[in-house]
Amino acid sequence: MNKIKKSLIAGMLLLVIVLSIPTGCGIDDSTYKYTSKDMYSDEMTDVSNSESEKTVNTSTEDTTRLTDNTNVLSGQNAIAITQIPEYSGTPYVVINNNIPQFSDTDLSNVSYEYYGELDRLGRCTTAYACIGKDIMPTEERGKIGSVKPTGWHTVKYDIVEGKYLYNRCHLIGYQLTGENANNKNLITGTRYMNVEGMLPFENMVEDYISETNNHVMYRVTPVFEGDNLLANGVQMEAKSVEDSGEGILFNVFCYNAQPHVTINYANGDSAEIIDETVTKPDVTAPQPDITVPQPDVTVQQDNAAATQLQPQDDGIPQQTDGSVQPKSQSDTVQVWVSATGSKYHSRNDCGNMNPDKATRMSEGDAINMGLEKCSKCW
Amino acid sequence: MILCVAVDDKMGMTFNRRRQSKDALLRKKLLEISKGHRLYMNNYSAKQFENVSDYNIVVDDEMLDKACDEDFCFVENLPIKGYEQLINKMFIFRWNRLYPADMFFDISLDDNNWILDSAIEFEGNSHKNITMEEWIRYE
Repeated sequence: MNKIKKSLIAGMLLLVIVLSIPTGCGIDDSTYKYTSKDMYSDEMTDVSNSESEKTVNTSTEDTTRLTDNTNVLSGQNAIAITQIPEYSGTPYVVINNNIPQFSDTDLSNVSYEYYGELDRLGRCTTAYACIGKDIMPTEERGKIGSVKPTGWHTVKYDIVEGKYLYNRCHLIGYQLTGENANNKNLITGTRYMNVEGMLPFENMVEDYISETNNHVMYRVTPVFEGDNLLANGVQMEAKSVEDSGEGILFNVFCYNAQPHVTINYANGDSAEIIDETVTKPDVTAPQPDITVPQPDVTVQQDNAAATQLQPQDDGIPQQTDGSVQPKSQSDTVQVWVSATGSKYHSRNDCGNMNPDKATRMSEGDAINMGLEKCSKCW
Repeated sequence: MILCVAVDDKMGMTFNRRRQSKDALLRKKLLEISKGHRLYMNNYSAKQFENVSDYNIVVDDEMLDKACDEDFCFVENLPIKGYEQLINKMFIFRWNRLYPADMFFDISLDDNNWILDSAIEFEGNSHKNITMEEWIRYE
């Protein structure tokens, strides 16, 4: 309810500002500030923003942002595709020395969120929000399969974790604003961009807000080249409000790429890159033993005498026998394997697994058995 | 010295000169394990402990050069590799999440110099599951 209320307030704010703008003229910054103050008179405070002052928009640009939904915060600020280096194996690159291009008036210690209208090709534009704990979700994510973003294909590759090349990628992640099947917030994105590119930043912002109760100004802009239906990537910007970016400050571009897959960004067609010179590792081949002896490692549950430990929903599952023998850093990760499945899991009750028949082993051992990482629970 | 660090799933520590994450209960755990010892940290980390008293916190940006054998050093934003020989034990807190990173924990745990002695898991204030690993030198 609170979230709906905040959205309504944001909508009213936009309406009031649009109605107050003389036709064909820019609005001066003070008018925008006054309107904002008026709407939030008791709640909203100015936040100093020395770093973004270097790149602050002109007042005319602010007017454009507020009156032309198709260019909300993107037309003036979005990174040009020509400025982005070609994908070279890392999921994201830093833009503008990590300094986001928010204006002072974007920042608020009151939560709000906004999702730009789809453009003439049906593509997402910009989504931005001032995220506080009050608009973060308290329920599990709902279904989003009804949305078919531009460039959408249901296509699978064995080389892609979880098989499916494309995900419905939230511009603003569900964990931050709780948006489900909002077509203004979902684009076609590769698994790689979703998990390796965007998710780490979403995690960082989510945890910061949860820990501090502060707000984070957050904006995600998909970057399309020409009339392409598939974005080349997304620009992600964020700045923590109450501490003026001391906790969170970034401006990055996440590539909508997938290693070993070539993608036609015009329509989303794709094909696996077959490199005859590269031999894929044979995960079924016997692996050499690590010969360095290691002592038993006692795994204890904090403040608990029990030695029979239960797996956690997230993170590294705990031991059932109280000990592990890590051979290397990667082998410190313990996984669950079902009696018959072809995946290994982070918990022993993933999907239809029978927890009583699940067994524990190191991730390395699971890989050596030819098992693949489960995309549902990791 | 006894080193304490917090890392993500890829051993990242900071991004854009900012810690990847923080948690009040991790700080509490750090104070518990270092009780009775000096706990060194630099000015960046000390901001997290501004309301803490009755602990032997020593704030010094040169801590890695000054810490003695039994002193704890909480390091969030410094390269550590050059001091590896001075470290006799490490507490590695794992967030069990993936964050962006441009600075990583730079001591290899794969080169047989270190062995995992124990590990406990605890629920953080804002993290569902934090793992505290204790690594000792492999002799």
